[in-house]
Amino acid sequence: MVGLFAILILTLLVLRLPVGDSLTLLYQGAFGSEAGVHRTLVRAIPLVLCGLGVIVAWRAGMYNIGGEGQFVAGGIAAAAAVKPLFAMAQPPAWWVVFLLAGAASIGGGAAWGALAGWLYVKRGVEVVISTILLNFIALQLLVYLASGPLQESKHQLPLTDRLSSGMMLPKFNSQTDLHVGIFLALLTVVAVYIVLYKTKAGFCLRLVGENARVARANRINSGQVRLLSMALSGGLCGLAGGVEYAGVAGQLGSSFSQQWGFLAIPVALLAALNPIWLIPSAIYFAAILAGSKTMAGFVSDGTVLIYVIQAAAVLGLVAIRAYTSRRVIQTEAT
Amino acid sequence: MLCADGLSKSYGAVRAISDVSATFADGEIHAVLGENGAGKSTLMAILAGFARPDSGQVSLNGIAIPLGQPFACRRLGIAMIHQHFTLVPQFTVGENLALARLDGLAKPLSVSRLAQPALEMARQLGWQIDPTAPTGSLPVGAQQRVEILKNLADNAHTVIFDEPTAVLSPDEIQDLFRVLRRLKHEGKAVILIAHKLAEVLAVADRVTILRHGKFIATAPIGDVNEEKLAQWMVGDLPSALTHGSADQYPSALYLRGLSVLGDRGEAAIRGLDLEVGRGEIAGIGGVDGNGQVELAEVLAGVRRLSGGVVNWDGKPLDETVHTGYIPQDRQSDGLALGMSIEDNLAIEGRTRTELTRGAFLRSGPLREWSKGLLSRFDIRAQSVSDLAGSLSGGNQQKVVVSRVMDLRPELLVAVNPTRGLDLQASAFVHQQILDAASAGTAVVLISTDLDELAGLADRTYFLSAGRLTEAAGASSMVGGQA
Repeated sequence: MVGLFAILILTLLVLRLPVGDSLTLLYQGAFGSEAGVHRTLVRAIPLVLCGLGVIVAWRAGMYNIGGEGQFVAGGIAAAAAVKPLFAMAQPPAWWVVFLLAGAASIGGGAAWGALAGWLYVKRGVEVVISTILLNFIALQLLVYLASGPLQESKHQLPLTDRLSSGMMLPKFNSQTDLHVGIFLALLTVVAVYIVLYKTKAGFCLRLVGENARVARANRINSGQVRLLSMALSGGLCGLAGGVEYAGVAGQLGSSFSQQWGFLAIPVALLAALNPIWLIPSAIYFAAILAGSKTMAGFVSDGTVLIYVIQAAAVLGLVAIRAYTSRRVIQTEAT
Repeated sequence: MLCADGLSKSYGAVRAISDVSATFADGEIHAVLGENGAGKSTLMAILAGFARPDSGQVSLNGIAIPLGQPFACRRLGIAMIHQHFTLVPQFTVGENLALARLDGLAKPLSVSRLAQPALEMARQLGWQIDPTAPTGSLPVGAQQRVEILKNLADNAHTVIFDEPTAVLSPDEIQDLFRVLRRLKHEGKAVILIAHKLAEVLAVADRVTILRHGKFIATAPIGDVNEEKLAQWMVGDLPSALTHGSADQYPSALYLRGLSVLGDRGEAAIRGLDLEVGRGEIAGIGGVDGNGQVELAEVLAGVRRLSGGVVNWDGKPLDETVHTGYIPQDRQSDGLALGMSIEDNLAIEGRTRTELTRGAFLRSGPLREWSKGLLSRFDIRAQSVSDLAGSLSGGNQQKVVVSRVMDLRPELLVAVNPTRGLDLQASAFVHQQILDAASAGTAVVLISTDLDELAGLADRTYFLSAGRLTEAAGASSMVGGQA
């Protein structure tokens, strides 16, 4: 955490921004008011859910960087499942909408993730490659559907029908975006933690990721485990998409994805792929996202800042990993 | 003439070779023979400059050569043909040949010019080589020719072949021998590392034997035979390798005509018969790479058999038979080094009804059980949360052994279970195996350590080229009758 703070300050120095004022602005924007806190937390929701997806796959040794595509696939599935509801005379309650959207989004994301897992297990296609490509496919599919089969009923804009506020997840405050999906995110953290550390399946998943040869020597089918881990990972990222749809966006368009799936990777890495540590890590990144928006009002480089800090955090992390693993190798050699 | 004089080399606490001297004359094929780990590769690495000895020196025609400098050795005319090819599979044959003769990065590259001498040599040797073929697509034997050409075309006068026959078919081996003899007649010193006796006797003029890193003997090939070489390789045989007769144990494991494919699709086990009774320890010796791992994996249920019968009490062996498996390499197959001791024990624990509830693991009982194993098997660790990778080799092996032995397995398969362990840890593992057998476990103990087999096994067989032979002197032990 100290390291991250140092990286943040270093970045500000390199960009020649006034350190003290910038930090104050960042803090003000992220935590300075109720609105700020809400701004931060609402951004942490998709980061937590996608981050869990990253953890589940990476723990099994599947370097899924297709969270973005799975997020979009989840959003598409949610919008498609909800579409018939718009024809009803009486708009259904929010929880009906959400049950439908949530279940569909998990299914859509899981299918998208499992596709990459299946390609790896059956055909040996590197997950890193296939998931990147599937990201593009999902985004293009979204653009097509939003101006095609899923387009809003007036057929004027490249968007899906908009959920009325009564159909969306309830908010804490009508002035901000924070919605009850945050409870779902927290519950999911607990659920993933239990699966990974308290179930046989989660144990096998971690074992396969740690050493697939040991798994094999103990008659664990690592192909099957990896395929399931990709489905689960995709399901979590898809759920993030469904929650974003039913909680914040309300409709799909080409700008539906805000790179949450990509951003979740450094978030999960910073949490050392631990679901509990994911919460502070997601809040840290969400705070910089929320805070840099405020900063952007004062400094021209404000929004760029977030990318610089992310990159610096990931690079710093990689350097630390490389350093520690080098030490391990050296000890083994002696 | 290349002379090695009093060479010693240690890796950490392990002495790879100690005080080895040998002379390799021009115009002869000189075989260096020894079991796995005898120090052959270390000696050759020193001669070719890839390793620097702790003491001793190497001289070429009476002049000391620089040690530990591969490029200098190469310029002096010492070429090494590696067992593991040093080719770029994506390059064409011509590009790989040119690579060895690059004369500077800044100069314009002419693959055909640089590859020419090597291709000329191929023609002289009677080899059909297509310089435009992608190297990775060639069969192994052809790749080896490229590897040889790559290293030979400069005017090498000393050529070291590191176990060149390991990957070749019988026809390809004959062709390789033709080339070795030709190099000899050109007046080159040919050094051949091998562990197969028949090959050495067929092609070598002189032979030097190493055992456990020590020089044993050098002799002209006319003065030795298979028996003699085998005895030099393995030393004095333990007096009794057979303790009991098969009939005293109720039979359980029954293998007939077992065939198994290895990782590269080769026939690793070819028609193997074996019977092991409850309480019996069947020892299987032999040099690594003769099908040991494949046999063990079939018995442990992690590799499919390609033919034959594996029965337990008259029915096909499957998961219902509680099988314990101690794999050969604890660090790659036995333990997840980055996980805790508890997690490594849970590999077994997850299959126990008292440690699980449905799909869930029961943390409390699992921890208590792990702590129990730690104290019962005397595993030295601060706590069960320590990473397996932080333990010493002996304690790592104890983690594997405790996991396997806790509930007495009906069938135990152990491969080199004490490799790399100190005396105390070895004795502990041996006692565990003996205890299991006396409690009625059928044990298949696969080991390259003859003392281990002599001390534990009721009967000992030798695995040679995928088949079993009954114990019959030293030569079956080193695969001489293959």
